Amino acid sequence: MKHLRLVFLMAVVLLIAVQPAFMQEVITATPGQEVDMLLLPKALGNAVFDQAHEGAIEAHAELENPGELIFNGPSEASAPGQIDIIESAITQGVGGIMISANDYEQLLPSTTRAMEEGITVVTWDSPVDPSGEALFIAQVDFSETGTVMADMALRILGEDGGQFAVLSATPDASNQNAWIAAMQEVLETDEAYAALELVTIVYGNDDPDDSYNEALGLIDSYPDLELIMAPTTVGIAAAAKAMQDEGLCGQIAVSGLGLPMEMQEFVENGCSQEFALWSFSDLGYLTYYVTYMLQTGAITAEVGVTFEAGRMGTYTIEEDPTREGGLRVLMGPFSVYSAENLEEWAIPAEGS
Amino acid sequence: MKSLRGLLHLQQVRELSLFVILILVLLLFGSQIDGYFSPRTFSRIATTVSIIMIVAVGQTIVVLTRNIDLSVGSIVGFTAFFIGQQFGFNRDLHPAAAVALAMGVGALAGMLNGFLVAYGRVPAVVVTLGTLAIYRGALVEYSGSQSIATRMLPDWIKELPQQTVFTIGEVEFGALPVIALVAVILFQMILMYTSFGRRLYAVGSSTEAAEVAGIPARRLVFTAFMISGALAGLGGFVYLARIGTITAVAATGLELQVVAAVVVGGVNTNGGSGTVFGTLLGAVLVGTIEQSLIRMRINEFWKDALLGVFILIAVTTDSVMMSRLRTWWAARAQKAHKREALSAPTAGQVEA
Repeated sequence: MKHLRLVFLMAVVLLIAVQPAFMQEVITATPGQEVDMLLLPKALGNAVFDQAHEGAIEAHAELENPGELIFNGPSEASAPGQIDIIESAITQGVGGIMISANDYEQLLPSTTRAMEEGITVVTWDSPVDPSGEALFIAQVDFSETGTVMADMALRILGEDGGQFAVLSATPDASNQNAWIAAMQEVLETDEAYAALELVTIVYGNDDPDDSYNEALGLIDSYPDLELIMAPTTVGIAAAAKAMQDEGLCGQIAVSGLGLPMEMQEFVENGCSQEFALWSFSDLGYLTYYVTYMLQTGAITAEVGVTFEAGRMGTYTIEEDPTREGGLRVLMGPFSVYSAENLEEWAIPAEGS
Repeated sequence: MKSLRGLLHLQQVRELSLFVILILVLLLFGSQIDGYFSPRTFSRIATTVSIIMIVAVGQTIVVLTRNIDLSVGSIVGFTAFFIGQQFGFNRDLHPAAAVALAMGVGALAGMLNGFLVAYGRVPAVVVTLGTLAIYRGALVEYSGSQSIATRMLPDWIKELPQQTVFTIGEVEFGALPVIALVAVILFQMILMYTSFGRRLYAVGSSTEAAEVAGIPARRLVFTAFMISGALAGLGGFVYLARIGTITAVAATGLELQVVAAVVVGGVNTNGGSGTVFGTLLGAVLVGTIEQSLIRMRINEFWKDALLGVFILIAVTTDSVMMSRLRTWWAARAQKAHKREALSAPTAGQVEA
């Protein structure tokens, strides 16, 4: 009996030891190593970045990192503000810097210097040039965003289609422009969307007031407009409020990319039908895992490296099709929020 | 007495010329945009400018004393967030208490400005540029990257923008423009009929002379900033009602629109001359141009430039018209004077 147990134990030990040889590349993180980490958002004061921070805190606790997790960003979204923070982080001697970049080029001298100092630089949400980062954690595939928006428009407008307009952020926002271009391509090439007519693209500059006024301008200019598609969390909330104030909920739909917390009420009162977003908390969590594993030497930034990121499962580092020479970890997918799945995502009313 | 009446006339002429320009601008856009002359356009413009107008009334008072308050955008953003958060804590907060709280917080911020300018003898531009950044920074810190969502707000404030207070013909006046109008009328009265109002003009014309005349100039400047802050606080309340979703960047850059309204409205930046009615017309003019450019669907990159061009043309036309009128006025006055002078001896001759 005793022997049998010993044999069994040995078999288990053997299996565990041999397992990595079987499955080859799935690498897991070793918790408990000390790495000071800096999470650097585009700016402070934006709810989505705060959610990313929460995800990073979760990963920080899970990996039992005795080091510090610093969350700091400029008060307004600017590259110089981020450079200052990177420079002081280098002086402090952090191990990992996780950046949602305000500019594709301007941060390069600082991030390159950080990498020379042995710091792991990972970008998320918005990347820098591949020469100044280890890799980029992409929230979603940018071309998928176009399809997701076109699908939402199709579901809202129905088979016979109709007119819709896009309310974007700033005219030079690279991510929004890429998403809109992807959507336009889907609309033009796919017969399924033939009945959808995109009448115009306007810009609310990610300013609530501007976005509100642009939404009003849209309904004044296009009497047959049936839908406003806003691929920005600021724009979609402002457009929904404008429709509410005008008493147009139910006549003109509002959709796009929005925050569940901000959009819940508008879905409940019928001003917005459905919207999509990826989880920023997951994005922060995944970014933290990747940075930790890179800095502790568990993985290297190379194509084909497969690893396990805690609760989120297995990911593989791949070439970034949108940036030559760049590497990415693609998170995905979109979550679509609507009245139908309201119960799954709604936050109960305060005080109850 | 006669000279004072002449001055009042001149002020009215200035407002008349602004009014004529406003009509011209409306005719111009009316010829370019289909269905422009509708009640909807007018209620739209009225609602759009109401926030700017409320804040611009306070700005007028500060500019009259030969100062400027650049911190108003940050005060509006801060109070909007602060009041929104109070509703998060206590949804049953009384409307009057909410307004009082908003104006109180704004007044506190204004008092700091006023104290530094009036008693610290620091130039207003420097002080308020500093507090512009400080109040915004305080908001970023205070908000902790959270945002105010409409679902945290009670129904009455969300529905405020939809309320119609009175209707003239088919033009509906909503609650927000009416709040702005009340502020305009109240402060126009104060400026015209109270000694406080008249003393503000005196301080702006010449601080030294005013002090020699026994007017407490510093206290008046301090009060002017406090009023500006309180009205910015009221503006924050209205901003919350209108936009609903408030983040740390709320009302960024509003101060520029406010200063534009005041300057276009003919308030002299060297102090001592201008009226709240002028500011009202200035705000409406800028709002009309802005709103109409949105309706014209102009390329985003051109819109701001065009807005600038329109404002320049309007102000230039105004000053040309003003100087023409002033010459004409002076000539007429002179003629009348001569006639009087001529007729006087004649009368004497008859007597003789």
